[in-house]
Amino acid sequence: MRLLPWTLSVLALSVFSILLSERGTLAPLQNVSLTITAPLTAGLQDLGDPTADFLEGVFDRGDIARENERLREELEHLQGEVAAGEDAQRRVRELEEALGVKDTRPEDEFVVADVIAEDPSELKRALAINLGSGDGLDEGMVVLSKGGSLVGTISRVYDDFAWIRLVTDPNSAVNAVVLTGDQEEEASGARGVAAGELRSDLTLEMLAPDAAIEEGDLVTTSGLGGNYPRGLLLGTIASVEERPQATFTSARVEPAADLPKLETVLIIANFLPARLAGP
Amino acid sequence: MKYVLAFFAAFLAAVLAASVMPHVHVLGVTPDLVLILAACWAMVRGHQEAMVVVPMAAIVRDLTTSDPVGTSVLALAPIVLLAFAVRELRPVESEFLPALLVVAATSLAYSIISMTVLTVVGDDVPWGRALLLVTLPLMLVNPLFAVLVYPPIRWLSRRPRRESFGVGSAVQL
Repeated sequence: MRLLPWTLSVLALSVFSILLSERGTLAPLQNVSLTITAPLTAGLQDLGDPTADFLEGVFDRGDIARENERLREELEHLQGEVAAGEDAQRRVRELEEALGVKDTRPEDEFVVADVIAEDPSELKRALAINLGSGDGLDEGMVVLSKGGSLVGTISRVYDDFAWIRLVTDPNSAVNAVVLTGDQEEEASGARGVAAGELRSDLTLEMLAPDAAIEEGDLVTTSGLGGNYPRGLLLGTIASVEERPQATFTSARVEPAADLPKLETVLIIANFLPARLAGP
Repeated sequence: MKYVLAFFAAFLAAVLAASVMPHVHVLGVTPDLVLILAACWAMVRGHQEAMVVVPMAAIVRDLTTSDPVGTSVLALAPIVLLAFAVRELRPVESEFLPALLVVAATSLAYSIISMTVLTVVGDDVPWGRALLLVTLPLMLVNPLFAVLVYPPIRWLSRRPRRESFGVGSAVQL
């Protein structure tokens, strides 16, 4: 086989299959592939967790890590309650102010899915789950952790499986609001965009330069744009970047959900993002 | 048989990459097992075999990621060309060191091509940060893990040496 014809053939075939894949024509093939690999990856993940615990430390370090994980989930849950409470208070005030405006968002309904694989690409942060369009999932649906904090959105969906784009993915951008302890600030809240970054957690960008935020403040979705329900916990402010001459302030946000160790996620079934909900 | 073996090796590498390997971080990145396997196979077994094995491994990889199918086929194709060039040139006596060089070079090529594809399909790829924080570390980490992958492939591809005596053997040698 000659190299030149081979190279041209590979080039043509790969470009053709990329086009087909983008049109969704190859989705059944990817669905079959995940059907075959899912049990293997799940089994290996189960094997990999104790191995990772072992590699992280010695003897009882694994127990400490699990205990830490449990406490973290508990903290995340409590933070979620605090955030929900603060947001609810603010919402009540806003609703009182805007007499007649009614909250039409119904009670959330969740679909529970298991994480079956992680995208090995270093350029993405994505997880595969064991539910797909056959279970009512669609692209853009919002995914939460067990503790109720935001994990990401469904980016690709097949019949029986789906890929979740995590909030830490470089392509993810979520309209967010910082809930400060100050009552006055709470009424308005510093608004920004929580964007994913390579090799770091989340960066809260586009904050007003005079935004009064500090480490430990809770960050939730603002609901602007209609792609996420408001009041979902994203994380806490880990550090604030001080740039006196900058037009905007930015801050690093530590996600509330333990994204690298997610095993189960909740998909909000009755919230359709603006794109899917239509006019 | 060799292609069946290559398929199962690629399948195992792809499954490991989606399950266990995300827990492994060296210099902040995860080694790319499929790339390492394909590059080592090409260097040990030659470009003729690599012309089949590399696309096969790439398709297996594509089917276990969220990337568009065909991305890895395109991005891993330089392995064949590089393996051919390096084996033809034979810059040093060792076969092992050029293999590490090919792994490092294909890590760079893979990153650039996959970032190009993702950009073309509409993803927002932070090129500067990706090259600095992902590609450069991978060019070091992948050859490091190739040290573990190369010897088994080399060992498997060893042919049993013919032991014979007499005039015939002299002709064979």
